[in-house]
Amino acid sequence: MIRFDLRAILQCTVSSVYGDLVTRRTGQAVRTGVEERLTEPTGDVAVIDFTAVRCMDFSCADEIVGKLLLQHGRGRYFMLVGLDEGHMQAIQPVLERHGLAVVGQDRAGSLRLLGTIPDPARRAFGVVATAGTAAPSEVAARMTVTEDVAQAALDDLLDRRLIQQGDGGYQPIRCA
Amino acid sequence: MTRVIEVPSQFDDRTFEQFARAFDGPDGERLLFDAHGTQWASPFGLVGLLAAGQAVRERGAERPLLTLPGKRDVVHYWARTGFVEHADQIFELHGTVPRVQSRGDTDVLLVVTPIRGENDVHDVVDHIQDRAAAMLTGELGLEAQATLGFAMALSEACQNIVEHAGTGGWVAVQSYNWRRKLGRRVVVIAVADAGVGFRQTLEATQSKRFGDRWGDAAALEAALIQGISRFRDPGRGQGLAGIRRYLDRWSGKLSVRSGTARMSMVPPWDDDVPLADQLSPFPGTQVLMIVPAQAE
Repeated sequence: MIRFDLRAILQCTVSSVYGDLVTRRTGQAVRTGVEERLTEPTGDVAVIDFTAVRCMDFSCADEIVGKLLLQHGRGRYFMLVGLDEGHMQAIQPVLERHGLAVVGQDRAGSLRLLGTIPDPARRAFGVVATAGTAAPSEVAARMTVTEDVAQAALDDLLDRRLIQQGDGGYQPIRCA
Repeated sequence: MTRVIEVPSQFDDRTFEQFARAFDGPDGERLLFDAHGTQWASPFGLVGLLAAGQAVRERGAERPLLTLPGKRDVVHYWARTGFVEHADQIFELHGTVPRVQSRGDTDVLLVVTPIRGENDVHDVVDHIQDRAAAMLTGELGLEAQATLGFAMALSEACQNIVEHAGTGGWVAVQSYNWRRKLGRRVVVIAVADAGVGFRQTLEATQSKRFGDRWGDAAALEAALIQGISRFRDPGRGQGLAGIRRYLDRWSGKLSVRSGTARMSMVPPWDDDVPLADQLSPFPGTQVLMIVPAQAE
């Protein structure tokens, strides 16, 4: 796992003065800062930490989250942590525009799916996130659907790299 | 020859058209902007006046003249908003120039601030967040969520200058009690530049698509309604859409004037038209955002 503190990257790449992720050029610089470290051999989970970020606008969200997922989302698990409502307001429309989804963790520690995702997959994610680890039969039971439907939803989540497969079933992305 | 352009007595987005009509005239004359009788100007009026002066300077004309308001309290207020400081660099000022420093009064959330580059956008967002939060939740009675999108909307509006105008511009944010119109307090964001405007920005990629309909109104429609940007990158064009969503959520008003057209997102409390076309030409783009206090 590799963790990116966006505020620290902002201050290294743009300015030590600012604490807000605003303007497209700022987003480009921060994304480049992230991408440079993505080449390090650090596992396949990248945690993007928003905890110290005050404000993020749509342009920055597009550059950092949208482009990062478009360019690297097929080969790596991404998880956004330390999100507040403002961050999510900026990120959600960006993901919808690109037809993307990502796992976010708010400041209370709750996992959320952000972006565009079919309803069965969203419900299956809820089951997995609540259970910690869940087999397809358990997901099917909690969703009150057939196991085939549950399996298809889990496969969809797996394909989008929104959950992981481990011993005993499917799990949320682990960031700790 | 000097041509006199009268600044309206109450200078805001409504009377701006009267100002634009007076501004539209032949090149080659020296312009005198006469604000001697002006009693009040909204942030939109102030940044629009600076954009007019900037446009004159950028087309290489003789330095325009500006007669400041005759009333002491009015001109002092203009000075406190930061207007006079910037006007002094554009116009040859006439009248009593007050020796008052610009400062953020209670109602002035952001003094008239030039936007020339990315750092200016950072400065504006950095400066305004705490004060805007206190104003929106405290005085306007909005939920805390209203503060989240405010800085985003402001940032995107300012970025449009940096990315598209081809020149600098100004932003100002004020709060005032809009008794006559709404009977409530409002926060007003005004952003203006004297740049190329929406039509020229989108001309290369959109004019064929619109055909005979192409013009300032069609360019505004493309940008505001369809979320189209001059960049091919599909992630572009989200800024104005985000501003629209934010203002829609809080029953606010968005109005964008560019060239000869003005497109507005009109909330129920306002009687503006969604599209005003064939207006007098005015350089650049002028954006108005109004966030009203929550209705009791």
